[in-house]
Amino acid sequence: MPAGSFNLSAGQRAERKLLITVAEWSDGNTQVREILGTRTEDSSIDYNPDIETTTDILGINYTDLNKTQPQQDFDPYLILGGSKLGFKLNDIRSRNALSELSQFTVYIITAFIGSSADGYAAEKHTGCTIAYNSIGGDANVNFPISVYFSNNITNGTVDKLSDDFVFTAAT
Amino acid sequence: MSLLDITDKNQAVIDYLITCPSIFNSALYFNFINAEDDSTQLVTQSNDKFANKPYIDGSVLKVYSLTLITFKSAADIAVVKSTGYPNENVSDMSDIQALIDWIQEQEEIRNYPNFGDSCIIESIGVTSNNPVFNGIDDQVSPPLAVYSITIEVHYLDISKKIWR
Repeated sequence: MPAGSFNLSAGQRAERKLLITVAEWSDGNTQVREILGTRTEDSSIDYNPDIETTTDILGINYTDLNKTQPQQDFDPYLILGGSKLGFKLNDIRSRNALSELSQFTVYIITAFIGSSADGYAAEKHTGCTIAYNSIGGDANVNFPISVYFSNNITNGTVDKLSDDFVFTAAT
Repeated sequence: MSLLDITDKNQAVIDYLITCPSIFNSALYFNFINAEDDSTQLVTQSNDKFANKPYIDGSVLKVYSLTLITFKSAADIAVVKSTGYPNENVSDMSDIQALIDWIQEQEEIRNYPNFGDSCIIESIGVTSNNPVFNGIDDQVSPPLAVYSITIEVHYLDISKKIWR
């Protein structure tokens, strides 16, 4: 398990590239992975919290956070040569095989925690949905997508920052 | 970006441009002005780093640009008002237009300069459809007309990506 602090100097800001989202799916008997965010300038995980607040007769607020529904949009998500996920999603789109959109495992890797020696902290969400929102654009074909995280989380580490990483669940 | 990277890109563009016949057949200078007929000068531009477009995977879309200045002897002969009668100044401008056309042809066939393994060239082009006429130096004989075009190479710098 990574050490209990960020692998950053005091006051150093974590670069955006250290927060990594990776999609994984089965293609026959092989697992395929791809990092999300190539040619995307700005993307955040929105937790869409379901909040319920009540106020008692003394004016004190009590807030319950009932659930979160994490979602991450990638726009633009360009059709790029060599993109495995783009090809997969376009194939699903062409067949309108919507149920196949909910068979993804998605990793959130926080590479600002851990190291190449100890592994980088990661969250594995199984049973996620990746939906395409539109296709088209102007000069290049844009195929923006949204990732809906399942919250079926296994915490652990990945041993390296490449598609062939090994995920080890925390004990 | 290191100085080595800058040098490499300049050399890569020179190596690329000399494959263009109209460049190869004229004297070529780099960051030096030698004002004589049919000479060409490549002048580097300062590329605004705020024009860089960073992506969330650590790659950055950048622009490399340089200006190509060409000197052509200019004739003080009025255009003959007869259809098809050639004018030296018009044909000189056509020579420079040929370079613009050559660059556009390279873009169509995706033939780009080699910026190395850490860069993926997106496109090459010129910033205008016609050469810019910068003026005439009439203190020399024959007078020299100065034309320029600016060439831009858009490339993706993947050297800072951490996902391999």
